[in-house]
Amino acid sequence: MEDLKIKLKQQIIESLNLQGMKPEDIDDNAPLFGDGLGLDSIDSLELMVLLERNYGIKIEDAREGRKILTSVQTMAEYIQQHSKI
Amino acid sequence: MKQPLYILSACSISPQHTYDVEHFLDPIVSSDDNKLYVTNPDYAKYISPVAIRRMSRMLKMGITAGMHSLEVAGVKTPDAIIIGTARGSVTDMENFLKDMINLKEEALTPTGFIQSTYNSVNGWLAMMTKSTCYNQTYVHRGFSLELCLLDAQMMLAEATEKQYLLAGGFDELTEEYFIIRDKIDYYKDEAINSGNLLSHYNTKGSIGGEGAHFFTLSNDPANAACAIHSLRMLQKPTSQELQQAIATMLEQNGLTNDDLDVMMCGMNGDSRNRFLIDPLIAGCSPNTTIASFKQFSGEYDTASGFGLWLVNHLFTWKAIPSAVIYQQGSSNSIKNVLLCNVTIACNVTLMLVTKVV
Repeated sequence: MEDLKIKLKQQIIESLNLQGMKPEDIDDNAPLFGDGLGLDSIDSLELMVLLERNYGIKIEDAREGRKILTSVQTMAEYIQQHSKI
Repeated sequence: MKQPLYILSACSISPQHTYDVEHFLDPIVSSDDNKLYVTNPDYAKYISPVAIRRMSRMLKMGITAGMHSLEVAGVKTPDAIIIGTARGSVTDMENFLKDMINLKEEALTPTGFIQSTYNSVNGWLAMMTKSTCYNQTYVHRGFSLELCLLDAQMMLAEATEKQYLLAGGFDELTEEYFIIRDKIDYYKDEAINSGNLLSHYNTKGSIGGEGAHFFTLSNDPANAACAIHSLRMLQKPTSQELQQAIATMLEQNGLTNDDLDVMMCGMNGDSRNRFLIDPLIAGCSPNTTIASFKQFSGEYDTASGFGLWLVNHLFTWKAIPSAVIYQQGSSNSIKNVLLCNVTIACNVTLMLVTKVV
């Protein structure tokens, strides 16, 4: 799980081009949107594409997506349970 | 053109140090591989860290040049944003197309698509300046910037009060774009030093370039150093048609050939348009200084924006930098300047720019 979270953080940084940021700068439980990383709606689409490309996970329900994309922790837990790659 | 376009400010991001005008051509930036890429300013000054991380180089160039032009002119929210670009953001388009192929049209990211559209720079500028007025993009290859300026002129001609418009053009050079255009003889086969472009007029092709050039325009002459009084686009003219068009333009503005102090010529070094360039230079008055700019900007569809930026600064500097002079004329003043841009396709655009007194 820890390795997955570090890998996921690295993928988020690359995918969203979070310049100057390292995986250790992202708290596992900090909110990705709003006060935490400060991501926006376009970023949420980028994260959904990230899950599909790297883990074969397709999020079709927006409400479910909101829960999954709450933090790195929630994303990693969902990936562990549903990854098809 | 009944309504002059008064130029209140001009900002350019180009291969030269045009963003920081004090260091223009000091040093001269050149290349030896037929490609001139822009010298990047500090984009973070105008674009927030949250927004900038998603932007390609082209978006950063366009937005920064536009915002800087408005800042210099002291205009916070323009009455219109009108832009010309032949290709839009090529990098974003390339990335999006590559993703489409590699991912078999599935799981495509939105950013590349959103920002590859031609009008993304306009949209960003409108959001950043809170402008909800007229917003237009002209995509017409080598005439893109000129059509944008023509639209600006028509808008100002209809205005019943003072208006301030942001107009400009941008185009980008990428490695792949260079390869594609090279296949249709757009660039020289031999690698040359960009500074020696005009010494290579005996071979076909030019050198690649890129840039973003923005102008704050108004129908109010206050604070303007110069104004565009006439603008013409000529599609594949003969030499005689070009000469006639210039003569007509001068006549319509009460000028003769001898009144032209400077001819700012967009000579791209392509042997295929010497049939236009040679008679044009031979037909100039001994008074007229002939200057050239594409050895500093490279050739691209909206390169005339670099020429217009340079013309505007001739009026503010009240001098012609020696590096741009191709042939010295006897006139000591800078009142009437003709910007003549010749493209690889042998299309020509003309702008008569005169001093505001």
